[in-house]
Amino acid sequence: MTTVLDHPTSAPGNSAMKRPLIERLNVFTAFGLGIISAIVFWYLARTFLPENTEGSFIKTRLDAVTIIAMLGWFFGFMTGIGALIGPFRWLLGKDLDHDESMFYAGKDQGIKRYFRYTTDHKVVGIQYLVITIIIFFVGGTLAMLIRMNLGHAGGGWLQPQTYNAIVGTHGIVMIVGTIIMITGPFGNFIMPIMIGARDMAFPRLNALSFWLIVAAIPPMLSSFFFGGISTGWSAYAPLASQAPPGMDGYIMFIVIFAISTMVAGANITTTVVKMRAKGMTWNRTPIFIYGVVASVALALPVFPLFFLSQVMSAMDRAVGSTFYDVRGGGSGWLYENLFWIMGHPEVYVILIPAVAALMEMAPVFTRRPLFSFNTAIMGIAGISGLSILVWAHHMYVTGWAPLLNGPFMLTTELISIPTGMLFLVLIGTLWRGRLWMTMPTASIYALLWNFMIGGITGIYLSDVPVDGALHGSMFVTAHFHYTLMGAGLTGALASLVFWFPKMTGRMFDRRLSWIAFWLVQIGFNVAFIGMFLVGLAGQPRRVDAYAALFNQGNSVTTMAAYSIMAGMLVLLYGVISSWTNGAIAPMNPWFAKTLDWTVPNPVPLENFEVLPVVTSDPYGYGKAQS
Amino acid sequence: MSVETHALANPHHEHPDVVGSRNRLGAILILVADITFALGVLFVYFYLKGQNVNGMWLPAASDSQSATTPVSSSGAWALALVAAIGLLAHRFALMGARAKNQAQLALGSLLALLISLVGLIYQGMQISSASFTVTMGAYASCYYLIAGLNFMHFAFTVFISLGNWNRSRLGLYSADHWHVTIVEIWWVWMTLSSVLGAFALSFT
Repeated sequence: MTTVLDHPTSAPGNSAMKRPLIERLNVFTAFGLGIISAIVFWYLARTFLPENTEGSFIKTRLDAVTIIAMLGWFFGFMTGIGALIGPFRWLLGKDLDHDESMFYAGKDQGIKRYFRYTTDHKVVGIQYLVITIIIFFVGGTLAMLIRMNLGHAGGGWLQPQTYNAIVGTHGIVMIVGTIIMITGPFGNFIMPIMIGARDMAFPRLNALSFWLIVAAIPPMLSSFFFGGISTGWSAYAPLASQAPPGMDGYIMFIVIFAISTMVAGANITTTVVKMRAKGMTWNRTPIFIYGVVASVALALPVFPLFFLSQVMSAMDRAVGSTFYDVRGGGSGWLYENLFWIMGHPEVYVILIPAVAALMEMAPVFTRRPLFSFNTAIMGIAGISGLSILVWAHHMYVTGWAPLLNGPFMLTTELISIPTGMLFLVLIGTLWRGRLWMTMPTASIYALLWNFMIGGITGIYLSDVPVDGALHGSMFVTAHFHYTLMGAGLTGALASLVFWFPKMTGRMFDRRLSWIAFWLVQIGFNVAFIGMFLVGLAGQPRRVDAYAALFNQGNSVTTMAAYSIMAGMLVLLYGVISSWTNGAIAPMNPWFAKTLDWTVPNPVPLENFEVLPVVTSDPYGYGKAQS
Repeated sequence: MSVETHALANPHHEHPDVVGSRNRLGAILILVADITFALGVLFVYFYLKGQNVNGMWLPAASDSQSATTPVSSSGAWALALVAAIGLLAHRFALMGARAKNQAQLALGSLLALLISLVGLIYQGMQISSASFTVTMGAYASCYYLIAGLNFMHFAFTVFISLGNWNRSRLGLYSADHWHVTIVEIWWVWMTLSSVLGAFALSFT
């Protein structure tokens, strides 16, 4: 995608030394300064921290040194990318002038703007898209390692500790990838245009939220070199307190990612509340916007608790506090509560924007208005509200507050009502529509199928007696893959194909999109129905070896996983080939009615020459004067 | 979606009130995250206090270490008072900004900065003079968590108070003062969080 002309920012003859600081900082200076800073912090920590002696405030010196080195990386990276320039310029009273703001926006920088602390929401959207693809590539590779290991009964070629580390890393990497897969690329690139804004409310915070994620990834991946994340993605204490230093990478990853999520949540919510085009009342605001706002607004109050849980985990590991250590008055249940108060809303942080994106596409491809817009709003609001009242259904078998099992079962089962509303809206929109059968259209059907299975098995698991039998089994693993991948990822892939023309100026290869769709959907359903069956038969999750009676189901799942992998590789090839050589996209290839399709390709720097005034709702298909 | 386009008089420069309103909402939303974090800390404190697992909320003396004696909450309340005085000083500055009185604005901002520095140093002294280490039971762990959070809050307050005073001194708030209003929102929350911390530490 090119939105502005490429030409050098400095006048000919200017030496690099004369360029202001903000023009010299980029991803390379960030990595350089991050690495140097990590080494310096590591050296200082090793030199000056006391040994683990009686009375020392350091409990585990290795963990303390590791955490300090990672903090050094973090501060060095953020300094090197230029994140601190804005705050310190504010402090000094030297606010950015117009030219500097334009530089930050990436004006006239060509491809270089993707490697800088660029504030233009379209650049940030593309950056998010690329980082999401990288995250899925890493998480997908780990998933294939898991499935290869589970291809044989009795254990495969991985050591149990290595297997556990791969499972834990796969889990948290994929969770983060799915959290950002819609709100990151499409929430940033499409959402401001869709509401008729020139940019996000806080462009510098927008860049900050992206680069925080980049800063979080190296600590996470470094954990492989320090014993890995052997606890699964939930990192339960006190298991996590006893894990090798790789756990520190997980902690740092979550702490930084939580900050990114909070910043993004405040930014996106403010943008939608304050910057919608004139005439865009709440009834005229596209449903996708509701989905994005519900997602980030839900994340805003719950991720700080995840952050807190990891701060305390770090303190337990490094300085010997006893938040989770029963010997010192701590409690493992404390961790579980803090984790799941975040952990269950997080499922809907992932799902809501994916479903909303498909609800946005349904009217376009059926040429019908969205069926019962208000029901869709109520569904999203109902899910968001109930999702913060269900967390303890993850803890039925832990022994924490058994008297609360009944109420939590009730709230969890209640959530199927607003979820059913979203199904109703999608089915109502498809009903008797004149379908334009594209990959996003098929994805709506796939979502209905997958989410139905994921949702119904979720009702089973919310039932206390059934959960007692199935908890910790592969049935649970299959259930949440049906929701997060079968519903969430399906919506994200459809979004990619749908908004690809606006983001890149080129059409996504239609044939490749269909091939990828069928390989992924068939492989997915075969793989995870097989997993349901072995789970029902009693195969535990997070175990590298299993009894021979589970062999057949696991073989089927592993073979089907290769189909998913093939589909995702086809999709990746489709992204690269379409981006570089795809057909030039017209301004509005889908003949959609939202504002994002009223701006030209490539989208100008400030989106609109003059701000639009909205005079009708976005789903007036088949109506005169719409 | 039907769309009309109307050229604005100056589409690239928004009115300061519009910018201020947007920034105020953004600041409040970011505060929501910090408020949740602080409430989470209080939850941890009262949860572990209520559980008193193995009687280790406040461990009794043993052969290897002395008993954990809780700190007096008066220090925490004193800190809350410092924060409240800082808030009043900043409020004085804001009133000056609203009245276009640059001298009052600069004086109030300077006072707020100095008070935040006092609070930071005082909190640091309290942490370093506690009679127990972080390893000595759940209360000790929670105390350092609450005090640490308050320390971070004061440190951030010093940063923004310094910026606020410097910008006041340079006359940057002569045209509009929504920055000062947003800094006040922070001061209000910072004071409230200090009160909440002191409240929690009053229950040992």
